Amino acid sequence: MVVEKKKKTINRLKSMYPLRAKVNETYLKSIEAIQAGKPAVWGMLNFYYGDPILKAMDIEVVYPENYGAIAAATGVAQQYLDRADAEGFPTHLCGYSLTTLGYASRMMKELNGQIPPEAPFGGMPKPLFLMASAAICDARYKWFQALGRYMDVPVWPLEAPIPGIKEFSIEGYYDKMVKLGIKHLRDFVTFVEGMVGKKMDWDRLDKTANLMIEVNRVWHEVNELRKARPCPMHSRDFWSAMPAALFLAGDLEDSLRLYQDMYKEVKDRINSHVGTIPEEKYRLVFAELPPWHSLAFFDKLAERGWNFVIESVGYHPPIPIDLSEVSDPLERITKFSLQFLVGYYEDARKQNVLGGTTAYPYLKYAKEWKCDGALLHPLISCRSASTHLPYVSDMLMEKLKVPSLSIEGDIVDLRLFNPEDALAKAEPFEETMEYYRKMRKQEGFDW
Amino acid sequence: MSSKNKGLSKAQEIYLNRSQRARELKAAGKKIIGYPCVYVPLEMLTALDLVPYQTCGDIKEPVTEADRALPHSFCPIMRNCLDCALKGKNDFLDGMITIHSCDPQEKTARVWESYTNYPYFHFIDMPITVRPEALEYFKSQLNDFRKTLEAFTGKKLSADKLEAAIKSHNQQRALVRELYELTKPSPPLISGTEMVQVLKALTSLPVVGGNDLLTETMSEVKNRTAGPEKKSARLLIWSSTLDDTDIMQVFEAKANVVMNESCGGIRAYRSGVKFTADLLEGLADYYLNEITCARTFRQATLGETRKDYARDLQSRFGYLKGIIKEWKINGAIMLLVRYCDPFAFEMPSLKDYFDSLGVPSTYIEYDYTIGALAPLRTRVEAFLETIS
Ligand code: SF4
Ligand code: SF4
Repeated sequence: MVVEKKKKTINRLKSMYPLRAKVNETYLKSIEAIQAGKPAVWGMLNFYYGDPILKAMDIEVVYPENYGAIAAATGVAQQYLDRADAEGFPTHLCGYSLTTLGYASRMMKELNGQIPPEAPFGGMPKPLFLMASAAICDARYKWFQALGRYMDVPVWPLEAPIPGIKEFSIEGYYDKMVKLGIKHLRDFVTFVEGMVGKKMDWDRLDKTANLMIEVNRVWHEVNELRKARPCPMHSRDFWSAMPAALFLAGDLEDSLRLYQDMYKEVKDRINSHVGTIPEEKYRLVFAELPPWHSLAFFDKLAERGWNFVIESVGYHPPIPIDLSEVSDPLERITKFSLQFLVGYYEDARKQNVLGGTTAYPYLKYAKEWKCDGALLHPLISCRSASTHLPYVSDMLMEKLKVPSLSIEGDIVDLRLFNPEDALAKAEPFEETMEYYRKMRKQEGFDW
Repeated sequence: MSSKNKGLSKAQEIYLNRSQRARELKAAGKKIIGYPCVYVPLEMLTALDLVPYQTCGDIKEPVTEADRALPHSFCPIMRNCLDCALKGKNDFLDGMITIHSCDPQEKTARVWESYTNYPYFHFIDMPITVRPEALEYFKSQLNDFRKTLEAFTGKKLSADKLEAAIKSHNQQRALVRELYELTKPSPPLISGTEMVQVLKALTSLPVVGGNDLLTETMSEVKNRTAGPEKKSARLLIWSSTLDDTDIMQVFEAKANVVMNESCGGIRAYRSGVKFTADLLEGLADYYLNEITCARTFRQATLGETRKDYARDLQSRFGYLKGIIKEWKINGAIMLLVRYCDPFAFEMPSLKDYFDSLGVPSTYIEYDYTIGALAPLRTRVEAFLETIS
């Protein structure tokens, strides 16, 4: 009997697979290197400030935030959460932070610094130092500070200023942010040099910074192409492909080539009117962290004609700016990182939507990617990815007449996200999207 | 204020009707500026003849309006503050100043500004470290703040006026510390509940009025014959904000709260602004360095490449050591508002620190609603039993 393999509804990009494979390969290589004794640093997602510096110094970085997701998906997180609870950490804290704290407690208190045997994917070894970040949430530096209870490793908290939208236009404001960034990164370099016992190779940093900027520029252009109808690339491809740009995972020259290939493939699809799902009935924006463990849920929605054409602003590359005239790599890195934060500010101020880095981009997305609806995914234990969602929903409706569907989930308690319940809400939401499509027409919107 | 009350009863009256004095001042032509957090440099407002008014939550008020813009799993204090604002309880304000003291404050600031329509609104960014470049950046933030205040008032912020304002606010800080001296005896001469009333009254008054109130209160308390009765424990409460008498009474039913180490207590008053050639430098240093809130990242040595946990604890919590000794604290409560991440991460480490000093401590969480007070009481009583 011939078993016919069911064709997946989402037509994934071919160019995504080698990119993803590179990311995975890099991860495994990095684990091997660490196991062979190469020092590792634990880092928080830092929106480009610190990563190019560590990359230029050839330091392996593991991201406990990502490892928290792995621990949750493989079912080992619970024992670390229980441990963190028993140690007195409030249970409502960021689930990934609790996972790491429980993990560190097990590793240091019970196993004398050895990686716990149950830890999936090679585990996280004791780091040389911790690179925290002030960007986006308080957990990012308080969590690493709290690790001091278990590990005698120093922490460097990367500053990440966040201006008000109006205030940002005060004369000289931007320059002050840049000044802070450059001085701060210079001191960070000195700190890293002290930790690893070698000097920064500034030419290498220069090249790394340029590649980082270029990789992200191409990646941005890929996503711009998704404005086409039907949309040629699904959010699932976005999430699979993003680590190479966001975490600088892998060799940057490889990544650049692979993103360029992706650009070509997406462009080809547009030229031949190929969409990423068979029939695009609804175009949607997704906010924020996806349910990593239930991504097949999007295939079910694709069967209903839901295409996810844009997503998760926190994972998107900055709007490109020309930094070719900036000779100091630290200044270039600073300006590039700042661009992630303030790239939407000017527009946001004009529209009077005051979440420049969080809420406003979703309005831009909905408008320019011509979305019929927004699927919001508030997470119980990641407040920073959830806080702005009610405001996003309110603004989308008030300013663009785009409705939102909110489906709760969590980053570690995976049971909270119930794909069946969520799917049951799909049909009524389609009626809502239809209704607002008419409303938008009546009000003169062009989609 | 129309009332003839003085000292403690005046403080109580203001506490119970906080906005009344602000409304009267407004009617008399003053401009009233709101702020939600002790990190806002009030000296700069005072120097421009603006009246600072702290916008607080109201534990008795169920949050309804703020649901529109903030999720349930979010700092309940900020939700409540915003809710009060959206319900028009601060409708007399001429402006509002918000600050990036923590992520919820930053996020709430955006929503607040977007949903209200005050003639003036300003957001101050604040770095997380006390590194020199961070301090310099924060000073530049205060300078920008100055510019927008000058544009709003049409007046220049002169060095003389700012210096005089710093003096008045420093005087207020010194008076509060003096008042706290009166909780050192056993029994204390003033209760934790009365302290909350006095300190919260200060946040509704111009600085000079506040200083008068403190002076009156001091002399009244020193001379009164019937003060608080002696209870079984002398407690220190460490929290983000404890500025509500209903909450304080939960603790004071069976203990004397002699130190409220929170933004509703001594935190904003423990030291003073230094006079520097550039006054903004002294202000930046005071607000970034001297206020000991968990939101600031501190370490034993800046940029240290080695870490020692005991020294780390000392750098983060060392200020509590003297308090514990001088106020003869025999129990510490770490009162956590649910979803307050900066303070929540501190809990086990702070407990380690209290343990190292031999002070029994417990961590209790609540959600800043009236309904949370009964379980809070049970937890407090259980703790008091363990230390009695
Ligand atoms: S709260 Fe969310 S964004 Fe912040 S560290 Fe945790 S998972 Fe990451
Ligand atoms: S410090 Fe805590 S209680 Fe205060 S506003 Fe921030 S989250 Fe809320």
